[in-house]
Amino acid sequence: MIIGTAKESYRADEALLTTQPQRVWMAIFLATLVALPFVLDDYWLYLACLVAINVTAATGLNILTGFTGLVSLGHAAFMAVGAYTVAWAETRLGTPFFINLIAGGLVAAAFGILVGLPSLRVKGLYLAIATIAASFILHFCFIHFDGITGGATGINVPPLSIFGIELATYFRLYWVIMPITAVMVLGAANLFRTRIGRAFIAIRDRDISAEVLGIPLLRYKLMSFSIASFYAGMAGGLWAYFFRVVTPESFPLMTSIFLLAAIIVGGMGAIIGGIAGAIFMTLAPELLRFGMEWISPLVPNAGALLSPVRTVVFGALIVGFLIFEPQGLAEIIQRIRRYFRLWPFRT
Amino acid sequence: MNGDLLFFIEISLAGLGSGALLALTALAFVLIYKATRVVNLAVSEVLMLGGYLFFAFAAGLGLSAWVALPLAILGGGILGGIVERGLIRPMLGENPISVFMVTVGLGSILVGMAELIWGAEPKSLPAFISTTPLFLGEAYVSRKIAVAFVVAGVTISVFLALFRFWRGGIALRATATDQAAAYSCGINVPGVFSVAWIVGCATAAGAGVLLGAIGGISTTMGVFGLSALVVVIVGGLDSILGALIGGLALGLIQSWASTYLGGEYTSVVTFGLLIVAMMIRPYGLFGTHEIERL
Amino acid sequence: MKTTRRMAMGLLAGAASLGLSMGAAQAQEDIVIGGSLPMTGVFAFAGISIEAGMSDYIKLVNDAGGIDGKMVRLAYEDTGYKVDQSVAVFNKLTSQEEIHLYYGDSTGFAKTIAPELVRKGSMIMGGASFASELNNPEAYPYAFIPGPDYTEMVNILLEYIAKEKPGASIALINSDTEFGRDPIAAAKARAAELGLDVVLEIITPPGSVDVSTEVLKLRRARPDYAISHGYILAPQPEFMSQAKALGLETKFMGTFWSMDSSLWKTVGETADGYMGVMPYRYYYDDADNAPMLDKIREMRPEYQSTGYMQGFLSAMLMVESAKRVLAEGKEMNGANLKAAMNTIKDFDTGGIMGVPISMPGNSIPVGRVYQFSAAEGKMLPVSDWINVE
Repeated sequence: MIIGTAKESYRADEALLTTQPQRVWMAIFLATLVALPFVLDDYWLYLACLVAINVTAATGLNILTGFTGLVSLGHAAFMAVGAYTVAWAETRLGTPFFINLIAGGLVAAAFGILVGLPSLRVKGLYLAIATIAASFILHFCFIHFDGITGGATGINVPPLSIFGIELATYFRLYWVIMPITAVMVLGAANLFRTRIGRAFIAIRDRDISAEVLGIPLLRYKLMSFSIASFYAGMAGGLWAYFFRVVTPESFPLMTSIFLLAAIIVGGMGAIIGGIAGAIFMTLAPELLRFGMEWISPLVPNAGALLSPVRTVVFGALIVGFLIFEPQGLAEIIQRIRRYFRLWPFRT
Repeated sequence: MNGDLLFFIEISLAGLGSGALLALTALAFVLIYKATRVVNLAVSEVLMLGGYLFFAFAAGLGLSAWVALPLAILGGGILGGIVERGLIRPMLGENPISVFMVTVGLGSILVGMAELIWGAEPKSLPAFISTTPLFLGEAYVSRKIAVAFVVAGVTISVFLALFRFWRGGIALRATATDQAAAYSCGINVPGVFSVAWIVGCATAAGAGVLLGAIGGISTTMGVFGLSALVVVIVGGLDSILGALIGGLALGLIQSWASTYLGGEYTSVVTFGLLIVAMMIRPYGLFGTHEIERL
Repeated sequence: MKTTRRMAMGLLAGAASLGLSMGAAQAQEDIVIGGSLPMTGVFAFAGISIEAGMSDYIKLVNDAGGIDGKMVRLAYEDTGYKVDQSVAVFNKLTSQEEIHLYYGDSTGFAKTIAPELVRKGSMIMGGASFASELNNPEAYPYAFIPGPDYTEMVNILLEYIAKEKPGASIALINSDTEFGRDPIAAAKARAAELGLDVVLEIITPPGSVDVSTEVLKLRRARPDYAISHGYILAPQPEFMSQAKALGLETKFMGTFWSMDSSLWKTVGETADGYMGVMPYRYYYDDADNAPMLDKIREMRPEYQSTGYMQGFLSAMLMVESAKRVLAEGKEMNGANLKAAMNTIKDFDTGGIMGVPISMPGNSIPVGRVYQFSAAEGKMLPVSDWINVE
């Protein structure tokens, strides 16, 4: 539907935002993000921060699973590694926040490489199960290396502070969490304009062919694991500052499944998918809470239904999207875009 | 007999007993995988549902345990049939990870449903296995564990025999080997799929009743399925013999680990073993090695 | 990409308007007790009775004219026993209402929200967690535990054992969770002080069903007592039935959350003789001078679980603190409420706890050992009230 093209360089061709309306909408979107904390109350700000953390983690998993085709059910364990690193550095070394956070990401990335090592030998489901195994082994380490991790009770994290300013309220935390998330997402989007990102996609589509084309599989698979774990580690670090306590039970297997569900629902292999999925899956349980409040006059004991209904809806979303909309929310968004491109003329 | 040796024999017997339960659950994974190439993580939740169905029939309706047990197994089978027709059929031809995630979602739905119907608090099943201990020579064996061992052993032997001699079993093996060829031999492949799911889920439900009789039921008892998944990965996803040997071996190892290292080491030993086994034989000890072609 | 933005904005705008409209005016006259309660999920059986207990006490207070004419109200939402949900509920409730008293549902939540409580400085919080870590007024200035903490519970049991059978051998059975591991180290130290011999430590992985190997360990060690902690029910009945079958004389004991008699009633004959520590009276306890128990039995003709008593007493402590703060004409905030709570000395609970209670720090280190009688389907007291201050 696009007539001709005015692009004169490959750079322009690869740009993230190619049209004027896109830029305008992006500006509006960013302005909204800036305006949000001024209009939301603490409850919604809490959710906004949680959404941002989940977006970072889901984007990381999307790089690994959606773009490189390596399924991981151990993503939460990498978040835990990041969270523990941050908590440890903050309490033991007292290093500045940003260094802690980056260290959290890097340590998680190192673990990611370690866990990714089997990926050359096994793939698909077997790899998914190997990552589950790795996360259980890490969980064991969190409990038993109590010199570092504080054992079963974990570590309490002091409030985040930058240049002596304490950032303990959600309003202040938002100004740290949201920009970092934005940068992380931007980084992920840019990754797929580079050779590395394209190599990932080639591996996803057919790893043996990719190897024939001259992409060293081991190196790129490990790279994908390390980048994804870096994202998880950063998300985990933010999580540690956000919830202020890290215990071995903070990141259960369920979190890994949640993140995988988020990118399935959002759309694998699309940056927007990771974002939309994380937003949707984080907010859906809260919207159900309001739904339940709404029907509570009609249904006796509606409050007691909330948690099982959430569990059912969570499963139903995964199943429903996989069967009816395998490309996820990203595809729905595309469809709406296409519709409006011709609007008001119907196709 | 030397006390330490007797103790060792006893814990080994206990390990074999719980290993038999693992093997029985692993069998459910294998049956379904063999026919449809789907790793059905919802086996864990069908297991849980089996326990709850038994509870509903035996404690809720007050039926005798010997009526409730087949009903619970039947319930599991019916569920398997519905799931196969409703969720798995439409996914045929999709990549295995997607189907795997469908079963993960299904598991979540089943847990939620069980909570909606029966509530989330842990429950005890009406006792239907006697608790008088059994002694093999001097060695003590819990009767429930012994029953589990016998049931699992008999069931797995029956399945091994069926696959060897029964037409349907051979049809399933043919389907597992080559679906296209199976079609051209006149085998009703979709029918084989349905049967595999029904029988697999029924097995899981039966295992759930046994498990519930030992440890009580709760909506989180599906965690047990993860250990069984380790068994099938180590033993080979498409090998019944692998499920049996893998299950017994894992039971033994878990029992030894928990005795000589401590209970907290069981999961790390289990999963460490999994990773080692995967590195050595990624397709399992008894699984079929598939060669990938471009 | 434009519709993406549009959708996101729509969502955000909707969210914002919702948030705004809800933050708006609410009747501020009442004294509100906030609650993150596990009405569903694995801990639902407790959450539901806690809610009942709190509501009933609040009703009693309001029927008697409230506190200084102010009505008390419970504002709670379900958390499904998940920490992030509990925090979400906390944030939602505190942004909607003025809350000075709060009930939290788990150790994880209590620890997560503790720094926020310090920052806000406006409320005190009790809850379903008896974690030993919370029993530290310096680290958790605004937390309180409506009873003994887990370490103190185990100490009560050890004290009882030391009296019943000096030098007895003990096995510790704990689940491999934060909850289960809580009292282990302290219990071993205390047992050594009391001259008791810890002969065996068993850690069961979460979700483990078959305990045959553990029972074999028990048989080899032959302890006089086995103290289990970190479970609601399973796998304790299986331990007991196998131990009984093997002819072990071991007496099994547990802590508060596994002491509900209706749970053990479903277990049947096997449960007979199970002992444990209970900080409160049971619904059916025969006691003189227990007007509150009579009132409870009047309000609810059928058995109420241990969680009910816990919720009831929690509400009582909260209301009492608020009453004392208001009586002194002070501002309702965390520091004043906590100070008021610490002035509670030899306080009569109307029979909910068998002795007058004091709360010098964060906990009330009092409890009594009860034993389950399968014949009666009830927990019967086997010790006097033990104080382990």
